Amino acid sequence: MAESLPSELSRVDPADAWKPWRPSAATPWDRKWVAHLYRRAAFGPSPAETDRALADGFETTLDRLMTGQPDAPALQDLFADAGEYFKDPLKLRAWWLYVMLEGKHPLREKLTLFWHNHFATSFAKVQRVHLMFEQNLTLRKHALGKFRPFLLDMSKDTAMLKWLDSNQNIRSAPNENYAREVMELFSLGVGNYTEKDIQEAARAFTGWHADGQVNRDEDAFEFKPEYHDAGPKTVFGQTGNWGGEDVVRLCCDRPACGRFLVGKLYAFLVSETAPPKGLLVPLENRFRASDYDIADLVKTMLGSRLFFSAHAYRKRVKWPVEYALGAVRGVTPGLVPLADLVDPLAKMGQTLFAPPNVKGWRTGTDWLNSATLLARNNFAETVATGNWPRISTRGGRGGATFAAVAPPTAPVADVAEADTLMFAESSPGAPSGAPRLVGPADQVQAAAGAFGAAPVYVATPPVDGLPPGGPSGGAGSAPVPKGPAPAPAPPPPPEAKFDPTEVLFKSKPASVAALVKRMGELLYGEEVSPAARGKIEKFLLDGKKTLGEKDLDSVAFRQRAREALHALMCLPEYQLN
Amino acid sequence: MFNRRDFLSRTLGGSSLLAVGSVVPEFLAATARAADTDPKAKGKDTILVVVELTGGNDGLNTVAPYGDDLYHKARPTLAHTRKDVQKLDDYHGLHPRMGELKQLFDKKQLAVVQGVGYPNPDRSHFESMDIWQLADPRRAQTTGWLARSIPGMSVSDAGVPGMYIGQDRLPLAMQGADGGVISLADRESFHLKLTGNGPPRQKLLQDLNSGDDTQADLAAFVRKRQLQTYTSLKKIEEALAGVGGNTQPQPQPRRPVKGGGDNFDLNSLTGKLGLIGRLINKGLGTRLYYASLAGFDTHSGQAEQHADLLGEVSTSIGSFFTGLGAEAGRVVLVTYSEFGRRVKENGSRGTDHGAASCMFVAGPKVTGGIVGKHPKLDDLSDGDLKYHTDFRRVYATLLDGWLGVDSRGVLGEKFEPLPLIDRAKKVEPPGGPVPAKNGQKATSPALPPPPAAPAVKE
Repeated sequence: MAESLPSELSRVDPADAWKPWRPSAATPWDRKWVAHLYRRAAFGPSPAETDRALADGFETTLDRLMTGQPDAPALQDLFADAGEYFKDPLKLRAWWLYVMLEGKHPLREKLTLFWHNHFATSFAKVQRVHLMFEQNLTLRKHALGKFRPFLLDMSKDTAMLKWLDSNQNIRSAPNENYAREVMELFSLGVGNYTEKDIQEAARAFTGWHADGQVNRDEDAFEFKPEYHDAGPKTVFGQTGNWGGEDVVRLCCDRPACGRFLVGKLYAFLVSETAPPKGLLVPLENRFRASDYDIADLVKTMLGSRLFFSAHAYRKRVKWPVEYALGAVRGVTPGLVPLADLVDPLAKMGQTLFAPPNVKGWRTGTDWLNSATLLARNNFAETVATGNWPRISTRGGRGGATFAAVAPPTAPVADVAEADTLMFAESSPGAPSGAPRLVGPADQVQAAAGAFGAAPVYVATPPVDGLPPGGPSGGAGSAPVPKGPAPAPAPPPPPEAKFDPTEVLFKSKPASVAALVKRMGELLYGEEVSPAARGKIEKFLLDGKKTLGEKDLDSVAFRQRAREALHALMCLPEYQLN
Repeated sequence: MFNRRDFLSRTLGGSSLLAVGSVVPEFLAATARAADTDPKAKGKDTILVVVELTGGNDGLNTVAPYGDDLYHKARPTLAHTRKDVQKLDDYHGLHPRMGELKQLFDKKQLAVVQGVGYPNPDRSHFESMDIWQLADPRRAQTTGWLARSIPGMSVSDAGVPGMYIGQDRLPLAMQGADGGVISLADRESFHLKLTGNGPPRQKLLQDLNSGDDTQADLAAFVRKRQLQTYTSLKKIEEALAGVGGNTQPQPQPRRPVKGGGDNFDLNSLTGKLGLIGRLINKGLGTRLYYASLAGFDTHSGQAEQHADLLGEVSTSIGSFFTGLGAEAGRVVLVTYSEFGRRVKENGSRGTDHGAASCMFVAGPKVTGGIVGKHPKLDDLSDGDLKYHTDFRRVYATLLDGWLGVDSRGVLGEKFEPLPLIDRAKKVEPPGGPVPAKNGQKATSPALPPPPAAPAVKE
């Protein structure tokens, strides 16, 4: 047991692979494995989280990741209320990014993202922000719950019904779209059903609509008996007067269901290397025996020996959201304007609430082409230099504090938009700057004062005489390109709250070597590889043999440090999770 | 105050595309050379070039039914005579200015698809253009048909799947493919941002990414992609070299449409296709290219303007395929317009908005010839030609038969394919270069050199 797993994945005994991991002398609970766990179970660690995880030990840390922080449930209720008010997709995207960063339960958000890709539904067709929002709440509700009720809720989800043409599914002309995808993409995978199963299942789903014809509420699921085919159907060889609920049950009863879901979660949480035959069988059995308890499966994976081995370490390509949030959490002292993430994320290939089709994003190495990698390089430039576009281009509301959540009675027009989220000013890792949670009973009061006494949401003063709102634009609007930049002019120093050197120099590095070591810790959780280390140090020394205390504290050196940080974020290893 | 459009046209006029080049780090040259020595670095995927003829091209005078008396009756001043047309057969003739396309037709490298349209044609430019670009007459789709084809398309050498050549907003056809499409005129979309200590930073990136990988692991794979990215920047820079002939941003009013323009003038279709050709020859790996030519809304005095436009279409397509040399066999080009024009000419020697029209599909692997009958001139719908071939059949054929993308997934339903593509066809090198012996790669034909002195352009 104490021995490490064989270095060849095919020789790993499946029974050993999923046993609980215990830190050992060979694989201690150190920064490297803290960072690994946080990259998978969260969106990368903040410096403060790393310190806390090291102090608390592995088991406590994993437990906390599983349950979230104590105040997470109430906080998420508050976020859910706030989300009601977002009327355009850009703001909804910023809202979700905010919940990912500040919701105190990153694992649940991570799984919500996984299920968003699994039940891939796009605003492009649904065209209703509110329905996408409601679906997001459903995904979050079940993200770490049980799969059977999850699949049933998704089968009745209004956005899903629109997305897969269920309103057209009527007795006289069944539409097979949902019936096909529920088997192919949501529960069983290709090859585990017949065309006949799909046709029969489509009949069972007839009359599951959400078009407001009966109760005039277009947002609500309704069953319309007059459009439902109540006759007998045969699905997977079982005959009955099945309705939609029965099809969901019959799908979940198939052995392929557990296999399919375990395989997908394995690729998401553990490794994108195809598992050898048999490796996942213990997980599949356990998952079935628990009646598809997702949290139990996730915890087994994340706490396993295989997870804390070379078979999982850097065996995934970061999704764009993981890349962007990981970079920001690792090295940025304050919370960045989240709307500034939306356009870079699109260029990296991932627009939340808009996966390319019902199969979801093409993940793994398909994330990386010349355009998306360039977008990652350029996003890293923004993070490393700390010069966020919205800070320098947005004007108006000079210094005003405004609330994130309006009182429930406030007219919608008065609600302080998602700009709040774009200009949030709390610090993810520092408890002192984090929003103070208020209990549900105080919510109305809290609304007036945002999340606490501190001015959490602050607009920046006008800059450059631009009109309020500036050229920031809505979703999809391209940034206004600047003319050809005069090359040698040094960039202005960033605002302190976005300047990575605020984090990098916090520990007052006494030498270039110490600084590079710190960069490695923050970005990778381990030291920069020896080959890269020498090159980075040489760049930082800028032709000098050594740097004194004064040099190390100079403005010019800080700029070099930011630039070195960028280079480290452009390394291949940094694209991996 | 100027708006964004003004701003773009001032700072991003065709010539300032050079700006892309000026920000590409020098070290990329080495990367590009290194990658070019890799025989696999040159893509072998098929490529589709889509040419939009904006404004509603008069199909009836593009492929003229010169053998039909009704044609001459309906077009007393505009009809092409039997003597003038480029005869395809006893009935059909190409516009007199389309000599190059006639040559392609004779080589069986040009298909003329007749009577293309869709049910209940919309005669609004914008509505109909949306329909073509969404590939959805109901307009329920919200992303373009090319964008939707990208997720199912393999791009073997990690290139950018789709590229739009132009200064305007990305065409709807290519909207909705996150991370899959770039627009070459948008400097922000494809340049490496390195502020501050630029040159040392470039060197650092080069040093860091030039390490040799001993194992074929995931990191090595990503490193290769990273190098390919830098290489793409370099290739684009090289392909853009000479474009516009002036490095200073300058107001760049659109040239009056006169056939021609050279390979380096991005205000012309010739220049756009020339750039696409250079990118293909450099093995950029992009599989979808999109370019457009505007000016087809010929309500009055049509003859001269239409002749110039079609002359430009013909010469640019001709020189595009010649310039591709040995790469031509990987490329199919298709033209379309949002609608054709009224059969009867109007009182201003022009034509008004119509419906069904023709499409060209060109390339060495195209099954040449006339596809489908010319719509009848004595069986019109509100004075317009009736379509008999849904344009989505052309799309489906190109998706399934050329790009290897499941058309059903893109178009939402299955369309009967048309006999347009013959992938097994043996291809002779088109006039230009002969593949070198001993397995060496063929050299590209000599493209016209960039303008010698920028000042001459003024």
